[in-house]
Order: sequence, then structure tokens, then C-alpha cells
Amino acid sequence: MANIEIDAPGTSQLFIGNEAIARGALEAGIGFAAAYPGTPSSEILGSLSIIAKKMGIYAEWSVNEMVAMEAAAGASYAGIRALAPMKQNGVNVVSDFLSNLVMTGIGKAGLVLVSCDDPSAISSSNEQDTRPVAKWLDIPLAEPGDFQEAKDMTKWLFDLAEELGTICMLRSVTRIAHARGNVKLGELPTKQHKARFEQTHDLKNVMPTTLIPVPSPFRHFLLHMKLDKARAKFESSPFNRYVGPDKPELLIITSGSCWLYSQDAIDVLKLRNRVGILKLGTLWPLPEKFVMQHLNKADKVLFIEEIDPFIERGIMELAGNLPSDAVRPIFYGKRSGHINAFGELNPDLVIKAVSNILEIEYQARDAEYNNKAETTVKSSVPERTMTFCAGCPHRATFWSIKNALKLDGRDGFVTGDIGCYSMAIGPAGFFQVRTMHCMGGGAGVANGLGKLGQFGFDQPVIAVVGDSTFYHASIPALINGIYNRSKFILVILDNSATAMTGFQPHPGTGITAMGEPTPVVSMEALCRALGAQVEVCDPFDIKTSTDTLLKMMADDGGAKVVIMRRSCELVRAKKDKAPYKVRVDANKCIGESCGCDRLCTRIFLCPGLVWDRKAGKSMIDDVVCSGCGVCADICPQGAIVTEAA
Amino acid sequence: MTTKTRGCNELVSEVIETGLCTLCGACTGSCPYLAYYKGRIARLDNCSRTEEAQCYDYCPRTYTDLNAVSQKIFGTQYTASEIGEVKDVVMVRATEPIVKDHAQYGGAVTALLSQALSDSMIDGAVLTKTLDDESPSAFLAHNIDEVLQCAGSSYMACPVLSSYNQIPKDSKDRLAIVGTPCQVLSMAKMKAIPPGNRVNVENVKLVIGLFCTWALSPDKFHQFLKENCDLPKVKKFDIPPPPANKFDVYTSDGKTSFPLEQIRKFTMPACAFCLDMTSEFADISVGSVEGAEGWNTVIVRTDAGAQLLEQANKIGKLEVRKLPEANLQHLKEAALLKKKRALKEITKKSGSSVNLIYLGLPSELAKLLLD
Repeated sequence: MANIEIDAPGTSQLFIGNEAIARGALEAGIGFAAAYPGTPSSEILGSLSIIAKKMGIYAEWSVNEMVAMEAAAGASYAGIRALAPMKQNGVNVVSDFLSNLVMTGIGKAGLVLVSCDDPSAISSSNEQDTRPVAKWLDIPLAEPGDFQEAKDMTKWLFDLAEELGTICMLRSVTRIAHARGNVKLGELPTKQHKARFEQTHDLKNVMPTTLIPVPSPFRHFLLHMKLDKARAKFESSPFNRYVGPDKPELLIITSGSCWLYSQDAIDVLKLRNRVGILKLGTLWPLPEKFVMQHLNKADKVLFIEEIDPFIERGIMELAGNLPSDAVRPIFYGKRSGHINAFGELNPDLVIKAVSNILEIEYQARDAEYNNKAETTVKSSVPERTMTFCAGCPHRATFWSIKNALKLDGRDGFVTGDIGCYSMAIGPAGFFQVRTMHCMGGGAGVANGLGKLGQFGFDQPVIAVVGDSTFYHASIPALINGIYNRSKFILVILDNSATAMTGFQPHPGTGITAMGEPTPVVSMEALCRALGAQVEVCDPFDIKTSTDTLLKMMADDGGAKVVIMRRSCELVRAKKDKAPYKVRVDANKCIGESCGCDRLCTRIFLCPGLVWDRKAGKSMIDDVVCSGCGVCADICPQGAIVTEAA
Repeated sequence: MTTKTRGCNELVSEVIETGLCTLCGACTGSCPYLAYYKGRIARLDNCSRTEEAQCYDYCPRTYTDLNAVSQKIFGTQYTASEIGEVKDVVMVRATEPIVKDHAQYGGAVTALLSQALSDSMIDGAVLTKTLDDESPSAFLAHNIDEVLQCAGSSYMACPVLSSYNQIPKDSKDRLAIVGTPCQVLSMAKMKAIPPGNRVNVENVKLVIGLFCTWALSPDKFHQFLKENCDLPKVKKFDIPPPPANKFDVYTSDGKTSFPLEQIRKFTMPACAFCLDMTSEFADISVGSVEGAEGWNTVIVRTDAGAQLLEQANKIGKLEVRKLPEANLQHLKEAALLKKKRALKEITKKSGSSVNLIYLGLPSELAKLLLD
């Protein structure tokens, strides 16, 4: 990670977008940052947590986004500028608090929510545009078009939030969050933070001493006044600008990373003198006058934005207010089908839309490009599916789950959610996971299924959650299952890390974001206190794990808990050497013969095992093998041998 | 009935899903894809093999050429006679008190195994052991004490052959196997075409077959026992000869009798399709003797069986008597009745008098039995 705390105003640093946002927050003088890890947002809090002590600020991994946002609001109420970064799903988790927060207003210190959206859902369960949230909750919203803006906008939003007395939102996307660019640094503040919850009357926020959303209609009215003020400020914001000829044939209206794609597209098409770009940085409320000023520049307007037609609809609404005799441009975009309302955009897609509208012959890609690329890649890259790492405890857990469900024979199944273990929807987890939604969603779904006995439902239901997910969103579902005696087994895949997002610590790890030791919140003690029957298994002990699951499935009664506890292999490998040296005894390996049929390389599919086609035997890939030794227990012929490493 | 591809999928679709599976255990133990659990064979994953699949080849309910099997075991054609190939039929009882104490009837199986072990004919025996919770489990016994632990009948189907299949490939131990007719048939199929990747079938020196009219489904019957008996106190089960028509459970508190009809509800449906009452492909078959409590009927079928019985008799481990002619006739009648009933059930299931599902039975014999 880059040194985001470097005190060198005026110099340029190479930052990923997330580091630029974190730097912007530092320059804004934040004292508090709280987040729950979520790609592509994690590096914002990640980079702040590393330098927090040095910079005299506080940073935490909160148990979930809701708590992070609430904690950040608390800091704002006590006069400390606070940042709450999250991925798009986090905004949903936070939305109930936000809908009240906008009514009460923030404290004296600025409060900024950063939402990193993930178009194409590259690292997400869902694809979602969070900009509409700002609209329906009346939150001033800005979106950076490059890395410099990512820093500058963040800093500016703190000032704006304080001026308006309301939370402000920065929307970023994966290609800003994780791409890298030059950022010219500003000054770092030297002011000491002093926190105090002032209980005196303050006219600016009307009733800040009682931070309550009532009377709501009145506060809602005040909020709209704040938005009007924001709109007025946005009219002259340097984050909105027009680039291009005075009278372009086509006007592109864009924001965010699409600003970069749009520039690339018209450069490739050599259309700088025919196409203009209206780049917007302040998206809600829209700077109406500024937009209308430019709207009549061209007869044709093309909206380029990810993911929803947010600007497109907003501006079409404005156009609806034009006098009846006004000349309206033709609008192109998602509504016209020129731009997708799903997935990431890229310069090729923009080129395609622009050349189509302007009737220019241009093939962004050779028609055969995809085939050629596929052929080239296939010849040089080994065939691999998405899978768990070699030595991953989840593979062993799902092996036991699969066998237990098959042995039980009642067509049981697994409900899951988002995490490394989501890969169990495919061959990595033997296709065991049948439902996958938000954090903790599987545990909730299991609650309903587990109550269907009266309708003849007798299939065992296993809900899987990660350890971090358990703390984040599964505890209410477990309480519900115990309270309402819903018949399901909650399997907590405790690998002692928030592995999928980069091994961030959580309440079960005994360490904080700032590296401080802290008491472990024991999940078994918690579950037992809730009244659940709890078993703790080592997933590498396949027999005990399978037997435990079978026994629990056969038992009547409400929700039960199995904690499958084994450290993430990547975490373990950083600390210890491999436990075993694993090899295949070629004399014992029977390969495809009856009695095996390549169980290890056809079904178990650990990437540390490879099939030697010529020899007709399995073998260990020493480079990939982590030495966990689980495959030795899987091999029906005892041909996989473990020796102390 | 032959199929072109014969593997796990076909075993599942032709035997397990059609209710023909007897839970003999022949497909489990050496296969990572099929496993026995609580009265079922579960398929854990898909095996891609479509030929030389031992699960299919050794299943007693996949196509079985009875003539070929008979030729392999006895060197003779299969004749569909009532009680199969016979060298001698006698009645027998053990003499040693400890064997008698443990015996279901005459203790013949235990005495024969005891003789085989002490004679060094075998090093171990694959048996069924009734566990403390009264559920049956396959067990590999290596001495007389372990054999004694397995004495008595649970009346429940038990995947004994699973335990045989688990024996390490390179084991040189000579073995005896005690099984029901379906298990004995599976062993005979293994002898006919020796399996690869399993222990050498030539190591099996002795197959003791049990008389069997039907077996109880282990999960359903066990559930019934759990609900109706104090399991830790159960000592023995018995079906006294007709006309008693009951099922006796002996406990440390005494005897509880259930109407036989109540128990027959738990019969394995697959048993209806079995023609063999007396384990016709065994070296020696053992059952009860009607009207002679404390005795076994023993059918000697092979030289190995004959020599073992002779030795045991000579040493004095067994007392051998001639089986009264009336008993023999009765046994034959019962065995023939089972054949006729089974064939009727098979043709009913297949919907055709010429489709005998798994039975490779010469058509003239089938016709004879169906008449």
C-alpha cells in the first residue's frame, strides 16, 4: 500500500482510488473512520487503519456497515469528522439508519459515506447502483471522474456536509477504487481533535441536542432546504465541466469512470471537434441550470454512466420542464438501447454507441477478436475453475456436508450467502450451496424452510455462514431459529479471518483494525448462551465432522450450530510451515480403475492434486500443495501419503 | 436382461431405486462413491465408470447367469432344485457349553468357524455382530472369542460384504464369510470373475450360508425396537416354528412376543424377489430344524464344507445326526415355495413371464417354477 500519510504538499503520488479517498479524508482532518470490509471498498479503511496511530486518528473494522455508519455519526455528533466507506451492499444495510440520519442532521463535524459500487459484480453477489439511494434519501452525492478528484472530492464533501448539516455521499466504482493514478497532494491538517457531545442549543441544526427525526415532516422540509442549498453550490462546482466544441454534433453527458471511457472513445474516433463531453461530478441534486445551459448545445445527447440511467432520467425529467416550444435534443442512452443498463462499460462500448449515433464506420474490435483471444489464452494458460485454495478448510467442510447430506438421504441442501464459501455453488464445494443472497441471508432463508414440517417438508437444511458473516448478520437469524424452533443447522465456517476481502480481523480474532489486542467474542459461548446446541469440529477431521452433521440432522428440535474451525490456509501459511509433505504412492494409486475413478482429481479437486494423464496416476503439485494432508483421508486406496514436513 | 453400460448409475437405477437392493454390502467398502448408512445404500458422488464396475458386476440383483455361477462353484449346471447342490443334509449341534450358550439354535456356525480357525483353515471370518444398541454391523473376527461375540441372529439385513471389501488388497489372511443367500450369491459372482483392486477372492476358503426367508429393514425395524423394547436389556431374537406365528424378544427381564405379522411389515421389500432360501452357492448352509430346538439343519455342498464338518465332528466340536426324512421334505417344500413366490413376484414386477429382471435362469426351468 502507498504512504497515504506522506506530508509532501504539491507532490504527486501514485494512489489507487481507495487510497486517494483515504488521503482526501486525512486532508479533511478526519478523526474517525469505521467500515466493514467489502470489495471494492476495503482499502479505504485498510490504508487508514495502518497509519491511524501515527496520525492520531481512530479507525475500526466494525461488525457491520450499519454499526460503522452509526459509530461514524456518533463521532460527528461529538465534533469529530468521520468517514464510513462501504461497498454497495453496505449502503443497503445502512439505509434504515440513513433514512433517520437525514432527518436529524449530523453533528458539528462533517460526516461522509463512501459507496464503492461494483459494476459487473466482479467481487459481489449483486450488481447495484447506489446513486438512487442518495436520491430517495435526499443525500448530496458526488462521483469522482479520476483519482485526483477522488481525493479532492472527499475532502470537499466534509466541508459541504458541515456547511449543510447533513451527511454527504461519495460514489465510486471498481475502476476508480482499484485503478491507480497520479494524485497531487494537499496539506495535512495539524489541528488536534477534541471530542465532546455538546448539549447546548444550536440554531443551525435546529435541535441538535436531541438528535431525533421527529417531527419528521418538518425535518423533511428542512432537509429539502439543505438540498436546495447544495444544488445552488453545485451550479458552480469545478467538478462539473464541459469539454469540446461550442456547437458539437453530439453531447455526451457522463460521470465517474465513464468520463475516462468517453474521452478515450472520442480520441480513438478522432471526434474531439465534433463531440462534446459534459462531465458531471455532483450528481444529486443535479445542478439544473448548469445542465440546461449545456443541454441545448447539441441536437443529440448521449448519456454514458454505470449502471442505472441515473443522470439520464434526471436530465430527461429536467427536459420535461422545458417550455412547450423549446427544441428538445434526441436522447440516447440506456432507454434507447445504445448503452447497457447492466455491467461495466468500457471505451469499446462507448465507441460502439457514438459511431452508431453519428453513423461512423468503426469496428472497435476485430469481429474475430474474441475467438483469437480465446485460442491464444487457451494455449498458454492451464485450465482452472474458480476454486478454493489448496488446503482451504472450506473444501473439507463441504466434503463432509456433501457426504452427510447424501448419507442422510432425505435430499437435504445448503443455504448460503456471500463469502469465499459462495464458491460451493460450483465444483469447488461440490455444488452444495443452493441459495446465495446477502450477508447472513442463508441463515434467514433456513429459518423459513425449517418451519415447513407441517406442510410435509422433511429435507434437512444447513445454512452456512463465514465467521465474519456470523458476527455481521447471522445472530438475529439464529436467535429467531431458536425462539421459533426452526429446524436447521447453522454451520459457521470459522477460518479466523475475513478472508475474501483480505484477512481483515473481526470480533472473533482478538485483534482490532489498529493492531491492538482485544477480547475474543466467543461464538460458541454466544451461541450456547442463546440456547443452541453447539458442536465445534475441525473440518480436517472429516469423519467427526460428517458424523456430527448426521447426528444433528437426525435430531429433532430447533436451530443447532456447528462451528467448523480451522484457520484460513493463507493465514496459516504466513505464520507456519506446511504440516506435511504429501506424495502419491504410484504403486497404490489405481487412477481411473474401479474403486477410485480419480476421486481426488475428478471430485475432490484440490488444486494441489494433478492428474498425470500419461501415467494414469494422480500426483501432487508440490508448488501448489499446502501440505494440509486432507487428501490422504479422501483417497480410497491409501495411496496419498503424508510425512512430517 | 443385459445392459451395454454397467456402472454405478445402472446399479442405482436398476437395483437401488427399483427396490431390489438387499443391503448385502457388495457394492460398498472398497468404493468411495457408494456407502451404506442406516438401511440404505447412498451414492455420494457420480462414478463415471461404465464397464468393469464391480458394484454392478457383483451385485446379487444385477443380471446373474446361474448356470455360470453353478459351474464355477460346483462344476455343474444350475437345476433349480429346491435346496440346490447337496452332498449331504444332516442335523447338527455344538457340544462346547460356551458355544451352546451363545447359539441361536444349535451353534453349528460358531462350532464350524471354531474348527476352521483352530485347524488353520482360516485366519479370520467376516461376520455380523449385533451391537449394544441391537443394530447389526459387519465385523471381521480373528479368534473364537470374537466369533462368539457375533453368535445369534439379528434378523436384520446387514452389509456384511462391505467389511470384506475393506480388507486391504495385499492381505494374505484366509477368510470365512458367513452370509445370507444374497451375500453368498455375490461371493459366488466374485469367485466367477475375480475382482481387481480388492483382496484376492481366492483367500476366501469357506463360505457358510444361512437359511433365510426374509430379512428385516435395519432402520425401520430398529426404530420399532427402540420404541418397544429396552434395547440394552435385549439378549436374543427368535421366530419359533409355526404355528407360533410370533417374534420373540428375549431380554434380561424375560420374553416379549410380538405377532409375526407386525414384524413382517419391516421386511426388506427386496426379499420378495429372492429365490434362494438355503444359500445355494455356499460351501455349507446352516438353518434351524423344525421341532428340534437346539439343533441346526446343515446342508453340505462342497468338499471344503464336507471336510470341515467331518473334522469338527471328529474332534467332537459337533454332534451330527441324520436329518429325519420328514424334516428334509418340509425344508424342500418351504424352499420350493420361496422359489415359486419369488418368480411370481419377479414376473409381476417386470410385467412379462420371460423378463426375469436379474435372474439368468434357463427358460425351461423358469417355466417349470412358474407353473
